[in-house]
Amino acid sequence: MIATVATRFYKLDQPDHVCWDEAHFGKYANFYINRTFFFDVHPPLGKMLIGLFGYLDGYNGSFHFDKPGDKFEDHQYMGMRIGCAVMGALLVPLSFLTVWEMTFSLPASTLSGLLILLDHGMLTLNRFILLDPPMLFFISASVYTMVKFHNQRHRPFSLPWWLWLSSIGVMLSCSVAVKFVGIFVVIFVGFRTIADLWEILGDISRPVTYTVKHFMARALCLIVIPTLLYMGIFYVHLAVLNNSGPGDGFYSSAFQVGLKGNYLHDGSTPREVAYGAILTLKNSVTSGAYLHSHDHLYPEEIGGGQQQITTYAHKDENNQWHIKRHNKMPPSWNSTKPVDFVRHGDLLRLEHFVTGRNLHAHRVLAPITIKQFQVTGYGLDGVGDTNDIWRVEIEDGEQNQVLETMVHRFRLIHYNLGCALTCTKKKLPTWGFEQDEVTCNPNKRDPNAIWNIEENIFPRLPNVSFRSYEKNFFQRFIESHVVLINGNSALKPKEGEATSKPWMWPINLRGQFFSGGKLQVYLLGNPIIWWGNLVFMVFYIILWVSVGVREKRGVVMTPREIMLQNRALSACGWLWLGWLLHYLPFWGMTRVLYFHHYFPALLFSSMMTGILLDYAMESIPLSLPQKMFNSTYISILSGALVILFYSFYLFSPLVYGLVRYADSNSTMHHLHWLSTWEF
Amino acid sequence: MLLFGVALATRFYALDQPNSIVFDELHYGRYAGLYQKQTFFFDSHPPLGKQLLALAGYLGGFQGDFKFDKIGSSYNASVPVFAMRSVPALTGSLLIPLVYMIMLQLNYSQWTAALAGFLFLFDNALLTQSHYMLMEPILLFFAMSGVLCVLKFRALERSGNAQAHSYSLRWWGWLLSGAIFLTCALCVKYVGVYSYLLGLALVGHDFWEKVLGNLSLSKKQVFGHACARFFAFFMVPLMVYVGVFYIHLSTLVNAGPHDSAMSSAFQASLEGGLSSIVRGQPLEVVHGSQVTLRHAHGSPCWLHSHAANYPVKYADKRGSSHQQQVTCYVAKDINNWWIIKRPNRTDLAVAAPLDRISHGEEVQLVHGITGRNLNSHNVAAPASPTKQEVSCYVDHNVSMPAQDVWRVEITNREEIGDVWHALESMVRLIHVNTSVALAFSGRLLPEWGHNQHEIVGDVMVNQPNTIFNVEEHRYTRNEDEKDRQLELMTTDFIPLEPVVMGFWEKFFELQIRMLFISNENVQNHMYTSSPWEWLVLTRGIAYWVSPESNAQIHLLGNIFVWYSATVALGVYCSLLIFYLLRQRRQCYDIHEEAWNQFRTTGEVLLVGYVFHFLPYFFVDHTLFLHHYLPALAFKLLLNAALVEHLYYLTRLVFAKQFFNWMCILIVLTWMSGILMVFNKFLPLSYGLGPMNASQILDLKLRETWDFIVHKP
Repeated sequence: MIATVATRFYKLDQPDHVCWDEAHFGKYANFYINRTFFFDVHPPLGKMLIGLFGYLDGYNGSFHFDKPGDKFEDHQYMGMRIGCAVMGALLVPLSFLTVWEMTFSLPASTLSGLLILLDHGMLTLNRFILLDPPMLFFISASVYTMVKFHNQRHRPFSLPWWLWLSSIGVMLSCSVAVKFVGIFVVIFVGFRTIADLWEILGDISRPVTYTVKHFMARALCLIVIPTLLYMGIFYVHLAVLNNSGPGDGFYSSAFQVGLKGNYLHDGSTPREVAYGAILTLKNSVTSGAYLHSHDHLYPEEIGGGQQQITTYAHKDENNQWHIKRHNKMPPSWNSTKPVDFVRHGDLLRLEHFVTGRNLHAHRVLAPITIKQFQVTGYGLDGVGDTNDIWRVEIEDGEQNQVLETMVHRFRLIHYNLGCALTCTKKKLPTWGFEQDEVTCNPNKRDPNAIWNIEENIFPRLPNVSFRSYEKNFFQRFIESHVVLINGNSALKPKEGEATSKPWMWPINLRGQFFSGGKLQVYLLGNPIIWWGNLVFMVFYIILWVSVGVREKRGVVMTPREIMLQNRALSACGWLWLGWLLHYLPFWGMTRVLYFHHYFPALLFSSMMTGILLDYAMESIPLSLPQKMFNSTYISILSGALVILFYSFYLFSPLVYGLVRYADSNSTMHHLHWLSTWEF
Repeated sequence: MLLFGVALATRFYALDQPNSIVFDELHYGRYAGLYQKQTFFFDSHPPLGKQLLALAGYLGGFQGDFKFDKIGSSYNASVPVFAMRSVPALTGSLLIPLVYMIMLQLNYSQWTAALAGFLFLFDNALLTQSHYMLMEPILLFFAMSGVLCVLKFRALERSGNAQAHSYSLRWWGWLLSGAIFLTCALCVKYVGVYSYLLGLALVGHDFWEKVLGNLSLSKKQVFGHACARFFAFFMVPLMVYVGVFYIHLSTLVNAGPHDSAMSSAFQASLEGGLSSIVRGQPLEVVHGSQVTLRHAHGSPCWLHSHAANYPVKYADKRGSSHQQQVTCYVAKDINNWWIIKRPNRTDLAVAAPLDRISHGEEVQLVHGITGRNLNSHNVAAPASPTKQEVSCYVDHNVSMPAQDVWRVEITNREEIGDVWHALESMVRLIHVNTSVALAFSGRLLPEWGHNQHEIVGDVMVNQPNTIFNVEEHRYTRNEDEKDRQLELMTTDFIPLEPVVMGFWEKFFELQIRMLFISNENVQNHMYTSSPWEWLVLTRGIAYWVSPESNAQIHLLGNIFVWYSATVALGVYCSLLIFYLLRQRRQCYDIHEEAWNQFRTTGEVLLVGYVFHFLPYFFVDHTLFLHHYLPALAFKLLLNAALVEHLYYLTRLVFAKQFFNWMCILIVLTWMSGILMVFNKFLPLSYGLGPMNASQILDLKLRETWDFIVHKP
């Protein structure tokens, strides 16, 4: 314990500048403290905790966290670092206790604890303001509560039984609420629960209702409670962040209405859209922009001659469009004729208000996405041709449904070509002022082809405050998830960017720079531990197969052998599964991946190594003569310990910051065991 | 037999219609044509299926003269459409007897087996797919034959006197043919690997239970069995796989359209193309060599420079050295020529004795046309600011001295030796002053750099992007610069002897490129679908549309069959869970025999389905409906199996004969429903016409089916 605290807190205030992703998570903590709305691809709990740590320490959110390398100077950053370090430090006792509950073997638990303690990767990751310390803590705590609960199985429905069961639920929902990878530990616990229930069901001496009772208890504590807690966390998140901020644009117009300071918060428009109104159209996808045109033509060489249509993220009078029926001019605003509403399936023209050109598409290749058609502004003062006609299709709309501001999402289908108005999200070159390209897309199901109306100027209809569109908590909850998931999958590696691949992780091939400059910090696992983990994983498979074969062949074993084997195999089987669940899914992920994604899996494999090392120490001497028993045991144990501690000592400068030497003969040079390590 | 007859009839009906390119025939037909011409092509799928097509084409007298340009263009008389389409049609028809036998092998009645055949026969998707030059029917045929053989093998293993059957001719026959068929499936498309894994799992499972668990066998016997299976399921597949590629590589000896995807040495080993250029060129790079340097891994391009400088300021306001641009250019160009020279020598003409360049030696690279030296310095690169700029040195008199000496590092000198060889040596050029390596960054330069690839100096020396090799090579003859330029412009080399590359080298190179180079995807294709949508047949694929009318071919399953199969899957899983839970409580609801049958069905069909379906949730590339067909095959079998099981259950629950008849009646109604739907969508499978718009819209049962209506 003391060692944990010592390693975790030693020189915690160094480096005194922003390291790596601290730039993000520190910033998010600021947003919580200042209560401004922001967008991040992870769920909020981790950032809320960091914000809380900072708040408790008296940090006022004034530091900007602009980019890695900025000096903290006299800002109170230690609170956040200490909070994270505490959560990280708790991993060691937790894994000790987990293995203890699984095996009741002191050497195994100690070894597992040591493996976590002496790993540089864990150490480095847990010393900074990142999401990983809370996430690893919650994952580890979920596993611990799970095994603890499992050991309560002989006194079901007692008070500790209920307590541990519900704490699994709490820890699970916290894991998911920090990062979505927490879902893997949920699956892990799910498997364990099914296995437990299977056991209970197999007990013929009890009635089936007994199993049902168990099932209900688990459903309550592992499904209902976590779900409620998870929603509660989001409730707090959305309630705390009620000021408009940089994250607004990622959400729908109706969502933004609820944010103080957002221009939509106090605005008002008519609810229904009628012919003759002046509208702004917003692309309905994440961070969609406004349909825009301006008094410039497409360049000659790409089918020019007509006016450009783009999308533009900022408010501008060039975003305004005048809506007309396809065949007649709308009555003027002061006429007394009945108001003519825009309905699902109507044919209409959109005239750009400032330049008087109609939104037009024709069989000319679009400027960048050449598989789609070009969209232009055409005609003079609203007089054009049939290529200006669009059909409005409200999403899930019915016949004669009236188009409404904000609430409805719709497509504009070109009447002649049958293609949908789409923003391709590709930037036009300088001739298009680097605004985004708008095309007519033959694939009508493209999610980028959906628009909604934000501004609606039509004096003949009563204005309704935007507040009436405001979403309730559940709608906001669901929308934040849609945005989070889209945001996550949109994190694609950029062209030519060196990315970390899952196969590199277990072999510790390449680390991650945390801090450059004079004092380098480099995230890298302890190679002895990491490679050892791999060896022991293979060892487990061999052991498992050989035990299986021996059982099948009816080989007789001594009771002690069987006891040792069962202990190691059952515990390791679950840990293996945990490792697989936390590692394999990354192979199928298309988003950009980083080295630190491997650490939850590492927790499992390190614990497994501890158990197997213990098994090896116990069983190898069994095959030796009696008198060598003790000496072999001790020599293996001490050998392992010495190697662990020495390797920790050897690489520890990576964690605490190594002073950069210009010449290649620096003291660190001999540590370049692999040429891919970049420190 | 009757079913097979009908199968042949449906599959071969109007086989040469439409007489134009349908969907992926565009690719497969073209490849078959390239086989006739013995021209090398690169495709990320293994070659067996295309070889079969090509063989059929060859027998049909196809010369490979037809140009497969776009979907819908019509074939001329030189293409034996019928012959080539008969391969998938035949394999597709053979599927029906195969599934019949598989069902029998799983201990189902003849009626059920016939039902399975019926489902296969009257599924529109399988029909459409078998009607054109596509890979899936061939793949399915091999996979199903493999599964059948493995099941036959299992039956031997499980029969009463398994001992007696061991190592008998039949035993070997089923085992080996199972392994071979499954490997063939793998050789048609890599997804066949899942069928192979299914076979492996079944054989492995039996080994574990029946051989290892059989205590009457001695250790030696167990070991013998293990070896036999290892031989059959690892050595034999390996031989088959390598054999298929051997045929592939030994057939395709001419240079073709995809050469540039391969390494220089590979290209040079093909007739024509690069080999006609590099043949007879000197092997050893010496002082005074004129070379083109090719980026050896990943996208092919050549080190290039041209008479244009880096802009003084970039768009992001960083400054540059304003020296001459160095890029990586994807086309052959006169500006790709560089002259290798020793830093201390000024003459360039090559004369005896040759001054060979070896690993670790320092050289300068002179750009052939502009005469400037390849240079790097501590200035940020144009598109990757974290890396170092590479330029051709221009002295602007701004106290920026030339740093134009590079050290040659040959990475594969264990095989090639220390001396720098053209084509063979993989070379890294290390900048002597700053220790960075000349590297391809993967980014494109903007318009001022003619959108060519950026070349940088990279601190990360040890990466594939820093490796180059000499492709074209000749010795400098002239001292005078003007003459040298003229020489660059005019010379052509006289071929002397071809470069020989061994089969294994070619095999491994092709393997690596097939497996690791992601082929560009059709992003945003209109007819893509996701695995979830396959279950309920949300989308089809438009294969072909007639230019005259609305007649079209649209890949779409028999919606009735697909829905009932999906329901059957759910029912099967629920029943399975139900039985397992009940058995856990020591309640045995059905007879042991029925349970065993039910379990074996799960082991083979459900596992097979999961193997062929689940992986698609984890893949990254664009998916189409036809990717689902292998999984569908297992699902249809499961459906037929479930019908018999349900029939068994009705008999178990209701004693009265009446309910049996009810059951049979329901099945018959269901089957006639299938026939009706099949018939309704038949025009879309065959592309029968002419159809008008309302007829097409009449078929549009689901809003998401996008048929093409381009004529009234």
